[in-house]
Amino acid sequence: MRVALPKPLEIHDLTVAYQQKPVLYGIDLEVEPGSLVGIIGPNGAGKSTLIKAIMGIMKSVDGYVKVFGDSSRKALTRVGYVPQRESVDWDFPVTAMDVVLMGRFGHIGWFKRISKRDRSFASECLEQMNMLPYANRQIGNLSGGQQQRVFLARALAQQSDLYLMDEPFEGVDAITEKAIVDLLKNLRNQGKTLMVVHHDLSTAKDYFDHLALLNLRLVAYGKTEDVFTHDLLQKTYGGKLTVLSEVGSRKLNEKQPTPEAL
Amino acid sequence: MFLPIWKKLKYMLLILVLSKEASVLKAAQISSESDKDWINQAIRFWTFTDPSIQIIALGAILIGINCGLMGGYVVSRRLSMFGDTLSHAVLPGIAVGFMFSQSKNEAVLMIGATLSGFLGVGIISLLKRHTKMKEDSAMGLVLSGFYALGICLITYLQQSPNGGASGLESYLFGSLVGLSDRDLVPLCFCLSLIIICFILLNKELLLSGFDPSFARSVGLPVDILQFCIWILMAFCIVSSLQVIGVVLVSALLIIPAATAGLLTYRMSQILVFSGILGALSGIVGCFLSFMGERLPAGPVIVLCSTLLFLAVLFFSPARGILPSWFRTRRRGQRIRFENTLKACYQVLESRSFSSQSFPQTALAQRRGKSDAEIEKEIGVLIREGYATRQEFPTEQKSELPSETMVSLTPSGWEIASRMIRNHRLWELYLTKEASYAPDHVHDDAEKIEHVIGEKTVRQIERILDNPQRDPHGKPIPSQDDIDRGWLSPPLVADK
Amino acid sequence: MLDFAEALLDPWSTREQVIWNLQIVFMGMMVSLSCGLVGCFVVVRRMALLGDAVSHGILPGIVTAYLITDSLSIGPVWIGACLAGLGCGASIEWLRTKTPLREDAAMGLTFTSFFALGIVLLSLEAGATHLDPACFLYGEIGLTPLSPKLELWGLPSGNQALWNMGVVCLTTMISVIVFYRFLLVTSFDCSLARSLGMPVIWIQYGLMLLLALVVVASFESVGVILVLAMMILPPVSSAFLFHRLPSILMCCLPLSIFYSVAGLQLAYSMNFPISASMALAGIVIFLPCCLLGPNGGVLTNSKKLKTRKSSRDLSAN
Repeated sequence: MRVALPKPLEIHDLTVAYQQKPVLYGIDLEVEPGSLVGIIGPNGAGKSTLIKAIMGIMKSVDGYVKVFGDSSRKALTRVGYVPQRESVDWDFPVTAMDVVLMGRFGHIGWFKRISKRDRSFASECLEQMNMLPYANRQIGNLSGGQQQRVFLARALAQQSDLYLMDEPFEGVDAITEKAIVDLLKNLRNQGKTLMVVHHDLSTAKDYFDHLALLNLRLVAYGKTEDVFTHDLLQKTYGGKLTVLSEVGSRKLNEKQPTPEAL
Repeated sequence: MFLPIWKKLKYMLLILVLSKEASVLKAAQISSESDKDWINQAIRFWTFTDPSIQIIALGAILIGINCGLMGGYVVSRRLSMFGDTLSHAVLPGIAVGFMFSQSKNEAVLMIGATLSGFLGVGIISLLKRHTKMKEDSAMGLVLSGFYALGICLITYLQQSPNGGASGLESYLFGSLVGLSDRDLVPLCFCLSLIIICFILLNKELLLSGFDPSFARSVGLPVDILQFCIWILMAFCIVSSLQVIGVVLVSALLIIPAATAGLLTYRMSQILVFSGILGALSGIVGCFLSFMGERLPAGPVIVLCSTLLFLAVLFFSPARGILPSWFRTRRRGQRIRFENTLKACYQVLESRSFSSQSFPQTALAQRRGKSDAEIEKEIGVLIREGYATRQEFPTEQKSELPSETMVSLTPSGWEIASRMIRNHRLWELYLTKEASYAPDHVHDDAEKIEHVIGEKTVRQIERILDNPQRDPHGKPIPSQDDIDRGWLSPPLVADK
Repeated sequence: MLDFAEALLDPWSTREQVIWNLQIVFMGMMVSLSCGLVGCFVVVRRMALLGDAVSHGILPGIVTAYLITDSLSIGPVWIGACLAGLGCGASIEWLRTKTPLREDAAMGLTFTSFFALGIVLLSLEAGATHLDPACFLYGEIGLTPLSPKLELWGLPSGNQALWNMGVVCLTTMISVIVFYRFLLVTSFDCSLARSLGMPVIWIQYGLMLLLALVVVASFESVGVILVLAMMILPPVSSAFLFHRLPSILMCCLPLSIFYSVAGLQLAYSMNFPISASMALAGIVIFLPCCLLGPNGGVLTNSKKLKTRKSSRDLSAN
C-alpha cells in the first residue's frame, strides 16, 4: 500500500494577464514527483510567466496553483528557483559564496547566525558545480557559464523538492551545458521534480523526460516520446490560436463585473 | 490599500492651501490698501494696463510655453529626472559667471550656466559608460555634487567685499518681482530657437528619439541631434531660472507634458497641448502670486500645473479615472440586462418554443432570484421596449388568481438570440479549436459573449464551418433566425 | 606651509572652540553615517532618485505639522514628515502603476508638486518665523551646538540635536544589522526572497520608512538636496574599493568621519556653508576612488571591464 502523497505541482484553469493582455489562458497541469519537465514554446508563449505564476510573483486572474497540495505561498520554502540571466543585477556587490549562502537562509532561521555547517554545505554545493576556486569572486567578474553555475549551486543549497528554472541554458558554454544537464538528471534521480524553461527544440528531446508544450495555453503535456510529435509541435508553433488571444485581450480590456450565474 | 486615503489627504492639503490663500489675500489687501479690494486688483491684472504686469505676465507665459514644448521631448524620452539634474547642475555656472562679470549680466550668467549644465550631463554619461555605476546613482551624484558646489560658491560670493551678489539667492526659488523687459529677451530667443528647431527637425528628432539605432542606420547624426536637445534644454532651464528657481524648473518641464500625454498619443499634439498647458499654468500662477503678496511665483505656477494634471487625470473624457469608472459601471448594467434577455430565451427554449410568452415565475426560477428582483429587471426590459407583460387569468382552476406572462418584442428577441448565438459559437470554438473540455467552457463563454464583435463571430463561424449545434447539443440560432424573429421550423422540430 | 598648518589648526585653538567644533563634527558624522547606511541599500536597489524625491516630499508634512501645532517640537514634525514622505512614495507608486505615466515622470511630477506645496504653505504662514525655505536647501549644521542642553542626573550630557540624531543613527545601525539578511536578499533577488518566505513588500515599506526617518532627522542639518549627496556618496565611493556589501557598509564609518572633519575644515577656511562643504569633501574622495579603485576603477580596471563585456557578448552569441 502506498500513501497518496500530494503532487509536487497541480495547476487548474490558470489564467494570467500582463497589463490587461492575457499571457496564459486556462492552464491545467499535474506533475508527478521525480519528473524532469521541459517547458517549450515559441517566444512570448508565456513560459517565464508560467514559472512566475507558480511562484506567485504574477497574480492569476483565474484558477489556482497548488505546490505539494498547498497554496504556492505556503509551500514556497520547498521550491528552488533559478532566475533568468537578464533579471539579475550582475554589478551587485556580492561574491559567489554570498549568493550560494542566500540559498541556505531558509534553513538557518531568520535572525540566527550563519553556522560553520552552512558554510561548508555551501562550499560543497559550489564544489559540485566546480566553482569552489571562484568562491570569493564578485559575481560580475565571472563568465556567463560560471554565473549560471553559481545560481545552480544556490538552488542545490536550497535543498528543495521542486525546482523551477528559467532558461538555465541561455548564454552558457558547452561544458557548462553538459554539467547542467548532468545535474538535472542527478536531481531527478534523487526524486526531485524539475520544471525547466527551454527554447531549443533540437536538444529538448534528449534533455527532458516530460514536455509541456505551451502557447498561451497548454497545447500538450506528457512523456517526451508521446508529446514530441510533428502535429503537436505544429500546433504549438503555428498561428492557430490568434483568435483566442485577440478575444482574450478584448475580454480583459473591457473591465467588467463577473456576470451572475444563470 | 493606503492610496485612496493618501489621495484624499493630498486633496485636503490642496483645499487647505486654497482656503488659506483666499483668507490671507483678503487680509493682506484690506490692511495694506484699504481703497482697493481684491476684485479691483484682479481687474488690474487681467486688463494688462500696467506695464510691469505686462512684462510679468508675458514672462510667465513665455516660460510656460518654453518648458512645455521642451517637456514634450523630455518626458517622451524618459529624461524627466535628467531635467531635474540639469537644473541643479547649472547652479555653479551661475556663480562662476557672476564671478567673471562681477554683475548680474544675463549673457555671461547664461553662458556659465549652460556650460556647467553641459559639464554635469557629460559627467553622467562618462560615469555611466566607463564605470559600473547605474544611471540613477550617477544622476544623484552629479545633482547633489554640483548643487553643493553652487551653494558654496554663492555663499562665498555673498561674503566677498565687493558684494552685490545678494540677488543670486533668488535663483533657488525664483521670483517675479525683479523681472524687467531685458529679461524677456532670452526667453523670446529661447522660444524662437525651440520652435525653429522643432519645425525644421521634427521628423529627425522623433525618429532619433524613438529608435536611435535605426536612425543611425539611415544616416541621421543621432549624437548631434541629441546635443541639440541638450542645448535647447539647457537654454530653456537657464532662461526660466530667475522666475521659477533651480529646484522647481524641472516640474514645469515634466508636469504639462505629462498632462498632455494623458490627452493624446501623437507627438505633435503632445507638444501643442503641453505648450498651451504650460502657458496656462504660467499665467494663472502668475496671477495668484500677484494677488497674494507673499506667494513665491515658482511654486504657485508649479501647483497650478499640478492641479491641471489632476483635473485631466480624473476628468478627461477619454482616459480619465472617473469617466472610465462610470463606463465600467454602465457596462455592468448592460451585461445584467443582456443576461436577463438571455435567460428569457432559455426559458422559451426549455418550453420548446411552444408559445411566445412565458410566466414571470419561470424566469425568476431560471435566474435564481427573488420575485421582487425579477420584477425590477423585467421593468427595465419593458421600459427599453424589449418585452411586454400581460396579466392572464389561468385556464385551469387553481388557488392563484392570475399569472404574469412575459413575451419578448422583436428587438428583444434579436438581442437575446444573438447573445445565445455568441455564447454557443464561442463554446464550440473553444472545444473544437482550442481543445477545451466541454465542461470547462461555459463560464468562459459567459464572459466573452458580451464583448465579442460581429466580425469575430463571423470568423469563428467560418472556422467552424457554419455549425448547427453547440458542444452540449443545443441548437445555435443562425443569423436568419435572428432576422426572422423566431426559430426556424426544422430546429424546433428537432427539439 | 606654516600658513596652511595655521589655517588647519586655527578653528581648534581654544578649549571652547574644540568643544563647539567637536559637536558639529559629531553631528555631521552621525548624519552621514545613517544616510550612508540606508543609502547603500537604496543605491543597490537603483532607487537613488527616490531618496531625492522623498527628501523633497517631506516638506509639506513638516510645514503642516508646524501650522497645526504652532511649534517645531520634534514629535509632530517627525510624524508629519514621515507621513508626507510615505505619501510621496505611495503617490509615485500609484501614478506609475495605475496611469500611463512612466516611472521617471511620476517621480518628477510628484516630488516637485509636494515641494511646491510645501514652499507655498511655508510662505503663507510661517514666512517670517522659524522656518526658512533656504534652511531646507542648505541645512544649519553649524548651529548644532546652540540647541538646548540636556542634563542627566544633574550632569551636563550633550545637547538635544545630538541626542535626537544619535537615536536615529543607532536605530539605523541596529535595523541594518538585524535585518541585514532580509535587505540583502530582497535587494538582490526578489523571487528568491519570496521563495524563502520573506515578506518582500513589508521589507520594501520598512526601508522606505527608515529612509524617511533618516531624511527627516538629517534635513535640518544638511538640507534636503544634500541629504541625497550624503546618501549616494558613501556607497558609490566604497563600491570602487570593495566587492562585498558588508565591507561597503563598514566603509561608511571612516568615510563619514572624513566628510565631517574635512567638511568643517573646508568651511572654516573658505567661508562655505558646512553642509555643502561636507558634500564637496565627499566628491573629493569620490574622484580617486572612481579613478584608481581596485574594484572597477576607471584607470585600473578599464581593460578588465572591456574584456568582461566582450566575453559576455561572445557568450550571448
